Amino acid sequence: MKRLIITFLALFLIKGAAFAAVDWESKGMQIAGEIMANPAGFFYDFQQDLEGTTPLPPGKRFSIQTGLFPTLIPMTYTNVSGKVRLHGEGRIAPGVPQLDLIGGYWDMLAAKMATKDSKTIDSAKFGGYYMGAIMSTSLSPRVRTFWGYKHSQLDARLKFKAGEQPEMLGTTVNSFDTGFKDDFFIAGIETPKGVGKLWSIQLNYGLKTQTFSSKISWYGKFFELGLNIFPEGVLVFHPVWNFHVNF
Amino acid sequence: MKKIILSAFIAAGMAARLCAAVAEDSKIFTPFFDMSMTEAAFLPSEGNIFSGGNINTQVGLLAKATQADHLFGLYNFNYGGPGFAPQDSKQFTDRSMSHGFNIEYRRSVTDRIRLRPGVSLNREFRRTGANEAWQNGLYNMNSTGGQLAGDYTFDEEKNGYVTAQYLFRNVKFPNYTDLLTEFRNMNNTASVNGGLQDQTMGQFSLRPSWNKFFAGLTYTVQNYKNQKVVANTGVNSTVKQKDSDTAVDFGFQQSLWIFELAPMVSYTMHKSNQNFMLYKFLGDTSPQFGGKYYDFNELTLSMPLDLNITSKWAVGGAINLTRRAYDKRTARDANNNFTTEKQVNNMTTLTGSIRKRINEVAMVRLFTSLIVANSNNKFEKYMPYNYTGNSFGIAYQLSY
Repeated sequence: MKRLIITFLALFLIKGAAFAAVDWESKGMQIAGEIMANPAGFFYDFQQDLEGTTPLPPGKRFSIQTGLFPTLIPMTYTNVSGKVRLHGEGRIAPGVPQLDLIGGYWDMLAAKMATKDSKTIDSAKFGGYYMGAIMSTSLSPRVRTFWGYKHSQLDARLKFKAGEQPEMLGTTVNSFDTGFKDDFFIAGIETPKGVGKLWSIQLNYGLKTQTFSSKISWYGKFFELGLNIFPEGVLVFHPVWNFHVNF
Repeated sequence: MKKIILSAFIAAGMAARLCAAVAEDSKIFTPFFDMSMTEAAFLPSEGNIFSGGNINTQVGLLAKATQADHLFGLYNFNYGGPGFAPQDSKQFTDRSMSHGFNIEYRRSVTDRIRLRPGVSLNREFRRTGANEAWQNGLYNMNSTGGQLAGDYTFDEEKNGYVTAQYLFRNVKFPNYTDLLTEFRNMNNTASVNGGLQDQTMGQFSLRPSWNKFFAGLTYTVQNYKNQKVVANTGVNSTVKQKDSDTAVDFGFQQSLWIFELAPMVSYTMHKSNQNFMLYKFLGDTSPQFGGKYYDFNELTLSMPLDLNITSKWAVGGAINLTRRAYDKRTARDANNNFTTEKQVNNMTTLTGSIRKRINEVAMVRLFTSLIVANSNNKFEKYMPYNYTGNSFGIAYQLSY
């Protein structure tokens, strides 16, 4: 423990040697500008947080999942996902990989409420879905690799009432109607972290939009903790908390 | 200059990874998987905080047709995000993304000699902080080619072998154009300027390795297909640009008690027949001439050290030094005038980290770094040469 404290102290001393300051106002303006430039991309990053793109654990036939954070809270993405195993690894013939179908749907609750109660928003629709397949094969008793495809789609429409349009960065915003649609290639690897607990890292790459993300996940019987990283996204780090049940 | 060096390293890097995969005796197919990811925040003394990182994913399959004949296919996705970089290499906000495909046939001629011919296809996209679409990057690059490598094992017990390799690449920059020439002569655009950076690249390397010690000698030649050498009159001559790099490197990876040490040193001599005209502003009628502007010698030293506190946890430190000294290029003063001093760039990075091994194939590392960059070049309107910076981030690696 002493060694750890000394190390931390050394790191802070190193850190203090550089002279730098963060201009948070400028950073905030930059982030707002990036969201306005590509709102669909910003909201789609959250859709990726709820997408279940890891294979079913060996021996499980299907599962249901819902994203809790940052999707249900605070983004109000009500969502449900599912996985179904078509066949287990080696069941049809030795060496044939496990094949799972995946899919899910979400709808933003805040958009519905805003349309109903807001004095400024005339109509709003935020929602999306995804579907695909994951193939997984064991490399050793402790390592499993998986490959997959998913089709993802998002619709984002917002219209403000006449005379109530907000101003962002000096521009009056009347409405936006945008969306996101792409086919993704998925590659990942999974390894046990403990009894009944798994750890995985995967790459999701959009073939048309060249959107990509790295998803790191720890998951057990009911919960998944993750760190999704969108290097080209507005918010690069997304801590993720999902709930699932496997049968 | 940055894209030239990059293309050389892409070619060499892919080839080195190919050699890493080894067939398991009992299997016809052996997968190869390596995924690493680093994400960090960067806080420079000049400019605002920004984030960046790297993702590298390699997936491959080694097929064993017979005991002596193997076929290996590899796909490599690589993303290089914003970050601090040595001076004269790239802007902090520049990013690149590449897809590489490599197929290699391995033939064991004897127990000690193996031949590895292969073909390669690489597509790279680059974008700047202006966030242009990936397809529109000025320095987007496509390359195709092949290589022939031969391995000779001289000590099976200590994994001692030497690899000789020749590789060839045909490199195209489909979007590249000379913006200054276009501006000065607007009637001549892509038809004149297109393909200026297109080139062929040949590389020969000799790499011995023994008992986790390794060394290498690499010679790379780049022949430009269209780019001409600029003369001191400011007009292009009839001579085409030709660059070469001669590099030597040495390093090892050893464990001693609780210490893991992996130092590496390399020295590169870059030669180019290209010169440079310094226009201080558009329409400058008396530009300054910089002869043999791109020749330099570069020393890089990397000394990472990890101390294993327990079987899972380790604390680490690293020092990285890069020193580039130009042969003929003189530094500029703050007013963009050449001085009499030869330009020298230094960059030092001190890193502290904590590493956790999740299991035998996966690890995570938290790190923080201090970067000190200095140069006698004081003209920093477009690219910083003298700055300090901090970065702190997280790195994951999972390989099989």
